[in-house]
Amino acid sequence: MAKWGMVIDLEKCTGCQACSTACQMENNRLPGENYQDVLYYTEGKQPTPTLKWFPRPCMHCEEPSCMHVCPTKATYKTEDGVVLIDWDKCIGCKYCMIACPYGVRFYTDEKALIEPNIKQVFKGDGDLSWNPPYKGPQQDPKHGVGIQPNGVVSKCNFCYHKISKAPKGVADLDESNPELVEYVPACVRTCAPKARYFGDLDNPNSQVSRLISDKQGTRLLDHTGNKPQVYYLTGGGAAGSAVPGTRSNKKA
Amino acid sequence: MATQAQGSGPVSAVLMAGLAGLVISLAIAFMNLLSGGHSAFNTGSDGVSWGLPVVNYVFFALTSTGLTLVSSLAMTFGNKGWYPIAKRCVWLSLVTLVAGFASLALELGHPFRMLWAIPLNAQLVSPLNWMGIFYAVFLVLGILKFMRIHNGDWNSSTSKQIGVAALVTELLAGGMLGMAFGAMAMRPMWYGNLVPLYFILTAACTGAAFAMLVTYLSYGSEEAMPGQVRSLMQGALPTAFAGLLGITILVIGYRTVIGLWSNADGLQVWDTIVASPWFWIEAALLIGAFWLLLQRRALALASVMVIGGFFIDRYEFVIGGQLLPLFKGSWVPDLIAYTPSTTEWMLTLMAFSIVLVGWALGERMFNLGAVPRD
Repeated sequence: MAKWGMVIDLEKCTGCQACSTACQMENNRLPGENYQDVLYYTEGKQPTPTLKWFPRPCMHCEEPSCMHVCPTKATYKTEDGVVLIDWDKCIGCKYCMIACPYGVRFYTDEKALIEPNIKQVFKGDGDLSWNPPYKGPQQDPKHGVGIQPNGVVSKCNFCYHKISKAPKGVADLDESNPELVEYVPACVRTCAPKARYFGDLDNPNSQVSRLISDKQGTRLLDHTGNKPQVYYLTGGGAAGSAVPGTRSNKKA
Repeated sequence: MATQAQGSGPVSAVLMAGLAGLVISLAIAFMNLLSGGHSAFNTGSDGVSWGLPVVNYVFFALTSTGLTLVSSLAMTFGNKGWYPIAKRCVWLSLVTLVAGFASLALELGHPFRMLWAIPLNAQLVSPLNWMGIFYAVFLVLGILKFMRIHNGDWNSSTSKQIGVAALVTELLAGGMLGMAFGAMAMRPMWYGNLVPLYFILTAACTGAAFAMLVTYLSYGSEEAMPGQVRSLMQGALPTAFAGLLGITILVIGYRTVIGLWSNADGLQVWDTIVASPWFWIEAALLIGAFWLLLQRRALALASVMVIGGFFIDRYEFVIGGQLLPLFKGSWVPDLIAYTPSTTEWMLTLMAFSIVLVGWALGERMFNLGAVPRD
């Protein structure tokens, strides 16, 4: 069984947000609530401000604190290493949102992050939070895939509706391989500078394993012990060095 | 069971005030929740996830723990001088827990799903799971204990065993609620292995405050109290309460200074807390109440001051721990701004109203001033 993971090369990432847009379309996300986002940070003041950015999906941790705190086991980890949410078990207590060090979870039954509230324009059927005009055909609440229902928490699922159908034993899901392109997560497939790689972390011959080894892949907030399965190639330095500390933020 | 003189306090007035509060709060809250769902709250994925309804829950659930501690002084530890308020405390521990649960239920996305999802899929390493189990078990034990003492069975071995089990369950529940926050290493303001102890200590303070307030309300004045009650209200209760509150004020002070002193990323939340007038109102209320308790004057007022002070403390704790933005980028460049919505405040009014109505009904129906004959 594969242990799926992602590598993001920060030296290639241009911060174009194509990954976020692809994620939004693929996963029926509301504006401003993409599972995958590129965060921007401005440091310094005029005339020499610096714009930095940092792409951040769910880390699909090896030891996910979100899963450990969930009182109903709605958040769980699959055998192939993906952290998912069973929307049929989620009670909407939001403890997972509290416990996630990376801030990648969304509770949709709240004020719209971006006005006007598009949920009022495309009203959801039944328990669904909205009815997006571009929705994909899949609705799989047991794996947290599809349009998010009201009253539950959602997050990036590594496009589980795609990767779970990939042929067994493949080392990498590479968008440049025509036989595998349909199984590649949307953010990886759309990345124009090819800054994202997706593959089996347990396979020493996979491209993701080689990149992590050769280019000293690092993990975000490794000290939390969550052990992300998303690695960053930084060209030296720690992952998330673009992210200023909140104290320095305050002083900026 | 001996029946003491029925209280001559403003029970009817409290009942009417509570009912009015309940009708107003439920009308406004349900109107907003049914029309807009949880968008009627000012919580959000890019901000504070647990808002004022969770503050209400923490406040009242811990008050329930505190009231059980106060009642246990007589019923578990054998201090007979505390019997005159024991039955009242047991009843109120149930009422306050219901008030907390009610606020939490209206905050959850699927409160009814919780009833089957937690028992069938219990996550054994989740503090929230155990907290729910312990408080649910206490609710059953507390009802059983109250029924026992209401029927005059204060001291049978079964009654005592139920009382001990209820006390242990409440302590475990309050501690587990503390662990739900204290285990969050990613939230520096909450993180710490002494948070369960802090919760139990402060729970005892709010429990004592409610015990004192409703005892005063039951009789209206110290002159109207039976001798045993007056003796307790003029002696052991304010003395023990003052000692407890004094220690707690010191602990709060040290927590604050440590938060201000540390340079750790995330603890700058304390700068914001101390810069808020609410912090100083809390300090004035708690220190003022401490002084009144030492003087044994205006005890009802002191109780109200302690209740107000600790409600602010719970708010600062629950909300303060979430003000640090986790990877929100330039959308949230500084600490998160949060002000509760009208609907959220209505749930606070609802919870307090439930306590007022519950206490007044108990006073009317169950002779809460009863003490054992021997």
